Amino acid sequence: MDVSLALFWAFAAVAVAGAVGVIVMRQPVHSALFLLLTFLAVAVLFVVAHAEFVAAVQVLVYAGGIMVLFLYTIMLVNVRRQAGEPYLHRQAGVALGVGLLLLAVVGGVVLGDARRLADAHAAAPAARLTEVVGSGVAAGNSQAVGWLLYREYLLPFEIASVLLLVAMIGAVVLGKRTMEKFD
Amino acid sequence: MTFPFPASDLLVILPELVLTQLALGILLWATVVRKGREATLAWVSIASLAAAAVLIPVAARLSGPLPRAAFGGMLTLDRFSIFFKVLVLLATAVTILFSLKFVGTSSYPGGEYYALLLFSAVGMLFMASGTHLVSIYIALELMALSQYVLAGYFKRETKSVEAAAKYFVLGAFSSGVLLYGISLVYGAAGSLDLGDVARSLAATPRSSLLGVGIVLTASGMLFKIASAPFHVWAPDVYEGAPTPISAFFSVGPKLAAYAIFARIFFVGFGPRAGDWAPVLAASAALTMVVGNVGALLQQNVKRMLGYSSIGHAGYALLGLLAYASGTDARGENFGLWAILIYLAAYLLMTLGAFGLVVLLEAKGYATESVDDFNGLSKKNPLAAAAMLVFLLSLAGIPPTAGFVGKYFLFSAAMKAGWPSLALLAVLMSAVSLFYYFRIARAMYLVEGEGELRWREEPAVAAAVAVCVAGTLLLGILPQPFVALAKSCLLP
Amino acid sequence: MNVPLWTIPALPLAGFLLNGAVALRAGARRAARASEAWRAAHPDAAHDDDHGGGDAHAAHDGHASHGSADDHGSGHGHGGAALPRGQRLFHGVVGVASCGLAAVAAFANLVPYVKASLASPEGIAPVVQHAYLWMAAGGLSVDIAFRLDPLSAMMLAFVTLVGTLIHLYSVGYMQEEEGYGRFFAYLNLFMFAMLTLVLANSLPMLFIGWEGVGLCSYLLIGYYYDKDFAVAAGKKAFVTNRVGDFGMILGIFGIISLFGTADFSFLDKARHAMVNGGSPVTVYAVCLLLFLGACGKSAQFPLYVWLPDAMAGPTPVSALIHAATMVTAGVYLVARCSAVYVLAPDAMTLVAWIGAGTAVLAATIGLAQNDIKKVLAYSTVSQLGYMFLACGVGAFGVGMFHVFTHAFFKACLFLGSGSVIMAMHHEQDMRAMGGLAPKIRQTFLTMMIATLAISGIPPLAGFFSKDQILGAAFATGHTVLYVVGLGTAGLTAFYMFRLARMTFYGPFQGTKEAEGHVHESPATMTVPLWVLATGALFAGFLGVPAALGGRNTFVRFLEPSLARVPEHEVPHSTEYLLMGLSVAVALVGIGLAWRWYGQATATSAVPSAAADAFYRKTGALGPIVANKWNVDEGIEALVLSPFRKLGTFLWRGFDALFIDGIVNASAFLVELTGDLVRFFTTGNVRNYALAFSLGVLAFALFVLVR
Repeated sequence: MDVSLALFWAFAAVAVAGAVGVIVMRQPVHSALFLLLTFLAVAVLFVVAHAEFVAAVQVLVYAGGIMVLFLYTIMLVNVRRQAGEPYLHRQAGVALGVGLLLLAVVGGVVLGDARRLADAHAAAPAARLTEVVGSGVAAGNSQAVGWLLYREYLLPFEIASVLLLVAMIGAVVLGKRTMEKFD
Repeated sequence: MTFPFPASDLLVILPELVLTQLALGILLWATVVRKGREATLAWVSIASLAAAAVLIPVAARLSGPLPRAAFGGMLTLDRFSIFFKVLVLLATAVTILFSLKFVGTSSYPGGEYYALLLFSAVGMLFMASGTHLVSIYIALELMALSQYVLAGYFKRETKSVEAAAKYFVLGAFSSGVLLYGISLVYGAAGSLDLGDVARSLAATPRSSLLGVGIVLTASGMLFKIASAPFHVWAPDVYEGAPTPISAFFSVGPKLAAYAIFARIFFVGFGPRAGDWAPVLAASAALTMVVGNVGALLQQNVKRMLGYSSIGHAGYALLGLLAYASGTDARGENFGLWAILIYLAAYLLMTLGAFGLVVLLEAKGYATESVDDFNGLSKKNPLAAAAMLVFLLSLAGIPPTAGFVGKYFLFSAAMKAGWPSLALLAVLMSAVSLFYYFRIARAMYLVEGEGELRWREEPAVAAAVAVCVAGTLLLGILPQPFVALAKSCLLP
Repeated sequence: MNVPLWTIPALPLAGFLLNGAVALRAGARRAARASEAWRAAHPDAAHDDDHGGGDAHAAHDGHASHGSADDHGSGHGHGGAALPRGQRLFHGVVGVASCGLAAVAAFANLVPYVKASLASPEGIAPVVQHAYLWMAAGGLSVDIAFRLDPLSAMMLAFVTLVGTLIHLYSVGYMQEEEGYGRFFAYLNLFMFAMLTLVLANSLPMLFIGWEGVGLCSYLLIGYYYDKDFAVAAGKKAFVTNRVGDFGMILGIFGIISLFGTADFSFLDKARHAMVNGGSPVTVYAVCLLLFLGACGKSAQFPLYVWLPDAMAGPTPVSALIHAATMVTAGVYLVARCSAVYVLAPDAMTLVAWIGAGTAVLAATIGLAQNDIKKVLAYSTVSQLGYMFLACGVGAFGVGMFHVFTHAFFKACLFLGSGSVIMAMHHEQDMRAMGGLAPKIRQTFLTMMIATLAISGIPPLAGFFSKDQILGAAFATGHTVLYVVGLGTAGLTAFYMFRLARMTFYGPFQGTKEAEGHVHESPATMTVPLWVLATGALFAGFLGVPAALGGRNTFVRFLEPSLARVPEHEVPHSTEYLLMGLSVAVALVGIGLAWRWYGQATATSAVPSAAADAFYRKTGALGPIVANKWNVDEGIEALVLSPFRKLGTFLWRGFDALFIDGIVNASAFLVELTGDLVRFFTTGNVRNYALAFSLGVLAFALFVLVR
C-alpha cells in the first residue's frame, strides 16, 4: 500500500465524515464549517490524483468564494438553530438503510470492477491529460487543463458560460425583494 | 490562439448562436421597454424562435452534408436532431403565446421570463444534437436551470414557489445521479464521446461497473421524462407551476430529454442493449400503470394532465425498447420512428389541451378542477369540440394523431418481442379513457353553473386551432409524417 | 381540357364547407339574438339550472309515433321564418354551383373517355389517378386514388346530372325553410360522399363514401329534427344500415384476406380466379357479407324497412338520396364486385331470389299506400329488387342499365310528387287530392311521362331496361324468377296508375279552401322536372337490344368493368314474345287501376273516410297488404323482442351480478393502487428523494443480479 493510496483513504474518510457532519449538525454555522472540511478534503483527493489545477480551483472557488458567501448569508439571515419539527425525519431509518445499500452496491461494483478495468486497458481517466502534457504543447497540468478546456471542450465551455448567466439571472429574479414591473 | 476548429463548425450551431444573441438582446431591451409595450417582447421572442427555426435548414445546407459532426465530435447535426429542434422551437413558441396574457396581466416583468424561455430553448437545441456526454450534460443543465427559475417565477404564489423548490432539489439530485453514472461509464469505456463509448463497449466484455453506470444514467434520464419510479415530482410541479409553464414542462424538456435518451442509449450504449432493455421494460410497465391509475384519482386538471403525461412517457418507452431490439425482417428499424411520430402527436395534443386550460377561466382563474369544465359544450361548443379532439387523441381513439402514434408504438413493441408490454399498454389506454372522458362528460353531459369564461386571446385560440388541425391531420393522413419520421432516424 | 378526377368530389366538399360555415355563423347569431331576447324577457332566470335538460327527451318516444307518419307530411317551415333573400341566394348559388361545376368536371373527363371507349371494340383501360398514399401498413397499402372506368363513368354521369338538377329544384322547394343553409350544406356533403364512393379505386375508400352517404342520409332524414317521427326515421335508417355495414366491413376484410389487396386490382385477380387458397374465408362468405352491406344500403329484404320511413326527409332528399343515387350504391357494389360474385354461383342465386322477392313484396305493399311519397318509396324498393334480380342472374350490365334509367324516372316522380305536395300545401295523402291535372299542368305532364316509363310502356326508358332484366332471367333459365318479375311489372303499372288516377284525375277530394290554393311550382322546380322527364323519355335508347335493331350500346360499354358471363342466346321470335307479354301485363295493370279508381267516388270531403277501391276489391288480403305484410311487426317479434329480452337478461342477470362484480373488484384494485400512489406522492421532497434512491437501488440490483 503506497502513500498516495493511504492518503486517499484517509481524506476520503474525512470528506465523508464532513458530509455527514453537514447533515447532522443543527447549527447552520457548524454545518457550513463541516462543508468547508469536506471541500478541503476533496481538494486533497484531487492532489492525490495528480489534478493539481483542479485542487487549486477547488480551494479557491469552493472553500474560498462559495464558502464565504454561505457564511455571510447565514450571518445576515441570522438563522440560529433548526427548531420545531424533529430534524431527522420519520423516514430517517429507511433512508439510511437505502443509502447504505446503495453505497454497498455501487461501491462494491466500483471497487471490484474499476481495478480490473484499469488493469485491462490503460485508458485510465487521466490518459488524455497526460497525453496533452506528454505531447509538449502544455508545460504542466494547469496548462494542459487550459489547453483541453479551450480547444477540445470549447463548446461545452461556452454553453457553460450561458448556463452561468442564466443562473445569475435566476438569482436576481428570485432574489430581488420587490419585483414589480417597471420599477 | 486561433480557433481550434474549422470555421464552418460555427455554421452548424448558427441557430443556437443567433437564438442566444437574441435572448441576450431581449434581456437588455427589457430594461428599457416602455410601459404597456411588454407584449412586443413576447412577439420578438417568438420571432427569434422563428428565426432560429428558419436558420436550421440554412445551417444544414451551408455546413455540408448531413450528418455533420462539429467541434471535435461534441455535437452532430443530423436529421434526427433537426426533427427535435423544430419540435422544441415550436413548443417554446407556443408556450410564449400561452404566456402573453398570463405575464402581461401579472405584476411580474416579462423580459426575464421570455429570455429564460429562450435560454431554455438554446439548451434543448444543443441537447438535440449533442453527441458527447459533456456537451449533452451541460446543455441539459442549461435547460434545467432556466426551468427551475421559470417554475418559481411568480414568486408570491406559494404553490408555485413550492413547485420550483421541489423541482430544483430533485432536479439537482437527479443531475448528481446522472453525472455519477456518466463518470462510471467514462471509467468503463475510457471516453465520453458517444461513438467512442459504443466502440469501446462493443470491444470490452460485460462488466458490472458499466451496468451500474448505465443504470444511474438511465435513472437520470427517466427522471427527466418523468418515468416511474422517478416520476413523483411531476404531478406536484405541473400542478404548482403557472399553467403556461406546466404546458412547457410537459412538452419541451421531455422532447429534448427523449432526444438525448435515444441518442445516449442507442448510439452510445447500443452494444449493451441487452443490459438496459429490461430496466427500461420494467420502468415502462411501472410508468404506464402509475401514470394512468394515478390520473384516475385526480380532480385537478393540471395534475391529471401531469399524471397522463407520465402514462404517455411509459408508452414512448416502448418505442425505445422496440428500437433496442433491432430491425425486422425487411431491415426496417421500427422503434424509433414510432417514437418520433408519437412525440409529434404528443406535442400537438398536450399543448392543445393545456391551451384550452389557459383559455378557459373559471371564477377568475384558469381552470383548475374537472368540474370547471361543466357545461362547456353549451357555452362554447367550439372549445368543447377542440378539447374533445385532444381528449380523444390522448386516449388514442381514431382518427386522431394519438391513435396513429399509439398504433405504431404498440405494434413496434409487438414486433420487437414485448407483447406483454404492448398488452399492458392497451389495457392502460383503456383505463385512461375513464379519466379523459370525465372531462368530456363534464363538458357535454353536466350542466354548468355559468362561471366559465372564455378569455379573449386570439393568439392562444389560433395556437389551439393549429393543434386541432395538426392532431386531425396526423390522424387522418399519417403517411407523410411516417415518411418524414423514417427519414429522421439515428444511424 | 384536362381536369384531374379529384376535383369532382372536391368541388361539392368546398360547397359544403362554404355553406356550412356561413350557416353555422348565421345560426350562432340567430341563437345569440334569441337568447338575448329570452334573457331580456326573463331578467332573473340567470341561475336557472333547469333549461337545456329537455333536449334529451325530444327523440325519446319517436318510435311510437312513426307508424302514423303517413298522415303527417313533412313538417313545414319548422321553427321560424324563412331566411333573408340574400342569404338564401348565397346558399342556393353555392350549392348549385359547386354541384354544377362538379358535373362539368365530370363530363370533361367522361366525354373523351366514353368516346375512346366506344371507339375501341374491347374498351380501354380504366383511368386511375393516385392522389395520395393514405396509409401503408405491412403489405397492405391504401391509396386515395380515383378510378374512371365504364362502371364509374356511368354512375358519375347520372349522379352529377341528377344531383345538379335536384340542387336546382331545392332552391325553389326549400325556400320557406329556416334551415336552408344547413340543407344545402348537407346536400353538398352528400354529393361529395357519393362521388367519392363512385370514383373510389379501392374498397376502403369506397367505404368512406359509403359511410359518408349514410351519414348524410341520416342527417337529412332527420332534417326536421323537431318532429319526432323524422328523428325516429333517421334513427331507424341509421341502425338498419349499421347491420348492413357490419357485413360490408367484414366483406372488405374478406376481400383483403382472399386477394391480399383492397384496391380494385383484386378484380383482375378474381377474373383469373387467383384466390388466396390459404385464406380462412371463402368466396361464398365474402359475397354474402358484401351483399348484406348492399341490402342495407339498397333497401333489400329484410333490411328495406328504413327506406319508406326515410320519406320523413324533405322531398328533394327522397328524390336524390333515397331514389336516384345512394340506394343504388348497393347494386353498384355488387356489379363492381361481379368478378368475385361469378366465382360463387350460389351467392348469385341468393342475390337473385332476394331481389325478386323484395321486388314483388314491395310492389304489393305499394298497392295500398295512400301517402304519395310512400307509394314511390315502395316502388323504389321494388325497382331496386329488379336490379338485384338482374345482377343475380348474371346480367350485371342490364342491372346497371336499370339503375341508370330508374334514376331519371324515379327522380322525376319524386320531384313531381314534391311539386304536388307543395301545390297541396304539404298534404301528402292522395285521398285528399284528385283532379290536379289541369291546375298543375307541367307537373302533371312530366309525372305522366315518368309513370309511363316506370310502367314499362315502350319506347320509354323503363321498358328497355326492365324488359332486358326479364329477358335475362328467362334466358338463363330462371323461369320462376321471370314469372315473379313479370307479375311485379303488372303490379308496378297498377300502383303507379293508381297514384296518377288518384292524384290528377277525378274530382278534387280536399276542402274547398285547399282547392283554391293549388298552384304550379316555380321554374327552378319545373325545369329540372322537364329535364328528368326528357331523360325518362329517351334514356332507354342508349340500350336498345339487338332484337329491336339496336346494338345495346349501354351494356356493351359497361362490359370491360364487369364479369363476363356466358351469354344465352334466345331466338328473336322468343324475345318479341317476351316483350309483348310484359307490355300486355303492364297494360292490364294500367287498365285495372283505371277501372278500380276511375269510379272511386268518395262523396265525403274527409280523406280518411274516403273508401279505397283496393280494400273493396281485394277482400281479406287488403288489410294485410296495407299493413305492409306485417314485416315491421315480424322483425319486432323475431329479432327485436328476443334481443330486448336477452338484453334484459344480460342486464339483470349477467351485468348486475358478474360484470358489476368485476367492475367493483377492479375499482377496488384501482383504489388500492391509488392509495399506494398517494402514499408515495406525499408532496414531501425528502420522500421523493428517497423514492428516487429506492428506484436506483432496485434497478442497480436488477442489472447486477441478472
